[in-house]
Amino acid sequence: MGSRLHGNDDKTQEEQLSTPEERLEELGIELPRPQRPVANYVSAVETGGLFFAAGAGPPPGPDGAIPSGKVGLDFTVEEGYEHARSVGLVQIARLKDELGDLGRVKRIVKLLAMVNCPPDFDQHPAVVNGCSDLLVEVFGDAGRHARSAVGMSSLPFEIPVEIEMIVEVAG
Amino acid sequence: MGSIEERIASLGYTLPDAAAPVANYVSTVSVEGAGLVFTSGHVPRNADGSFVTGRLGDDLTIEQGYEAARNVGLALLASLKVELGDLDRVSRVVKVLCMVNCTSDFADQPAVANGASDLMVEVFGDKGRHARSAVGMGSLPANVPVEVEMVVEVS
Repeated sequence: MGSRLHGNDDKTQEEQLSTPEERLEELGIELPRPQRPVANYVSAVETGGLFFAAGAGPPPGPDGAIPSGKVGLDFTVEEGYEHARSVGLVQIARLKDELGDLGRVKRIVKLLAMVNCPPDFDQHPAVVNGCSDLLVEVFGDAGRHARSAVGMSSLPFEIPVEIEMIVEVAG
Repeated sequence: MGSIEERIASLGYTLPDAAAPVANYVSTVSVEGAGLVFTSGHVPRNADGSFVTGRLGDDLTIEQGYEAARNVGLALLASLKVELGDLDRVSRVVKVLCMVNCTSDFADQPAVANGASDLMVEVFGDKGRHARSAVGMGSLPANVPVEVEMVVEVS
């Protein structure tokens, strides 16, 4: 596992030497197994130094079931935050699967975070922070991204959160 | 002042203060290798900094939605100015995603999104003509009527 070549000047030397993989280990995080779509689309496409990841939902829980329900109705904001964090883990697992080395991540560029919620729900940012916080924990300043946090009237299989992601990658 | 900012002033518009997000994300990200800037979703604010709120098809007219989308367009320009230093560096507005907070039977999302699209063409001329999606959302943060994100090409 090589050290990162594109460390940010603001980081301490220790942080610069720590790879995203090492950071995951320090945080005690085990990535979920990446799952490939079963229809005519793919998990991610890399083009022109950008990696476009398809929308992902939370991975199956310990009981093997995918979480389902609306935030603000079936789930609290705090539970929604945890679901958004677990979607972030799915996206990091995809990055690792596709890129081989998370050190190739130059910058998390953009998230579109879609929260499944009732029409009077207004705390989407507090939910989406679950994914944003994870990305900064794992990638440091390179994890700071632009994002949109919005509410959907429904999502596939009633998942509570779906997030798509654009990442700048080194060649 | 660059020529784009002069045009904004001559149109009678004022850019709002660009507010940095308080959570773990940023208003804009430049991808220099690709010559693109990606923005976060921006939302409309009143002069006192409070959010413009309301839902299309419920308590806001299409005209109010159009105004809100233009308000967001100005906020996007303010963030881009902070990112780029000079709005003259914008060589093309590439893509706009305009998300409208509306009832499930509301169908005039394009008329709302035009508030942002018209502004971009007024300000940037042909360089402001962009690809766009205008869609209805079940809800938006703080019950704002519209949230807009944008991709621009820069030189």
